[in-house]
Amino acid sequence: MRRGKREISIFSGKGLYGALVRLVAFSLLWAVLTQGGGGWIIGVPAVVLATFLSLGLHAPISWRWRPMGVLRFIPYFLWQSLRGGIDVSRRALHPKLPIDPAVVHHTLLLPPGPSQVFFANTINLLPGTLSADLHEGHLTIHMLDAGLEYVMELKRVEERVADLFGVELKRR
Amino acid sequence: MTMSEFYFGYALFLLLTVAISLIRVLRGPTSGDRMLSAQLFGTSGVGILLLLGRGMEMPALWDVALVFALLAAVAAVAFVQRVWKSGEQKEAKSDAS
Amino acid sequence: MAGETVILEVFIFVLMILGALFMLVAALGILRMPDVFTRMSCNAKSVTIGLGFLLFAFMLHFRELGVGSRALATIAFIALTIPVASHRIGRSAYLSGVSLWEGTIRDELGEALKGTREGPHKEDAGDEKR
Repeated sequence: MRRGKREISIFSGKGLYGALVRLVAFSLLWAVLTQGGGGWIIGVPAVVLATFLSLGLHAPISWRWRPMGVLRFIPYFLWQSLRGGIDVSRRALHPKLPIDPAVVHHTLLLPPGPSQVFFANTINLLPGTLSADLHEGHLTIHMLDAGLEYVMELKRVEERVADLFGVELKRR
Repeated sequence: MTMSEFYFGYALFLLLTVAISLIRVLRGPTSGDRMLSAQLFGTSGVGILLLLGRGMEMPALWDVALVFALLAAVAAVAFVQRVWKSGEQKEAKSDAS
Repeated sequence: MAGETVILEVFIFVLMILGALFMLVAALGILRMPDVFTRMSCNAKSVTIGLGFLLFAFMLHFRELGVGSRALATIAFIALTIPVASHRIGRSAYLSGVSLWEGTIRDELGEALKGTREGPHKEDAGDEKR
């Protein structure tokens, strides 16, 4: 979804923070690409240019990950992705192609904003789920196997994402 | 078997998987399916470049692989924004007629 | 010491073979699965895992900062971009009404909501070629 272009000055507090985050991120990327060794004569202008261009393309939005949430989320995400890969391998290699797909509708308990988008993208790597459409807090999901206990599974993922972003889940 | 031979063999295997997915480009039926094969082409390409970079002692190929990893996604998004919406409607019409 | 190195080398070898298998699964999935959503589902998960294993094996094998940081950056790019790209393609496919496999169970609420969305609609136009 594209929002109207908002002008955020990099001299305002929030804008400056967003700009700094990107500056650091691009510098880090340059360091990785050049293996930490030199090239900063080209690197510094490139990093500054990239920061300004990216701010022009997309204004900073306020979201934050909780450090402890990140530590808890990464192993969970890696393990679930591995499960997802194994699950899909089993299905794709099996001679009978055991799939029982369904398109289901899931009303998100996460609050509107970045955490919902993050959730929609995360489930693409988890076992059997693929997000088809996210619209006003309703997520349409394609399942490889409708027989899975997907409602509980999705809720568990939502709890993890809420923990990562430090947000509260809505109560039904 | 030397290490670089192993890498070349591995790269060849990845090329084979690309060849398999190219059958999907021929069959279609929608442009989305074809795009998916192209996406696999990109990601397998990343793997092949990583292996060749090691096998041929050309570290620069690792940089190319990194760029490929980013471009694969950009290509997919560009495809969605530019091609799908107009192209798919035309296809649907020509199917019906 | 020597024993540990052998174990590590075997582990790296296994990781690489598994990575290759996951890449093969992605291709087979794209070929065998019946519709664009199932193909994409298969592709997204197995490609990420496959390349992840390959890069992790490289990191363990070379144990250099240069290799490690690049491998980690590539893994991060793949893990960030594949789901996003899949979501974009999936969303366009869904909204433009690409036909689902005939065995797919539908959710009425979702279908009703879809009716309120923009995008061209297409009734299921026959079976898909396998």
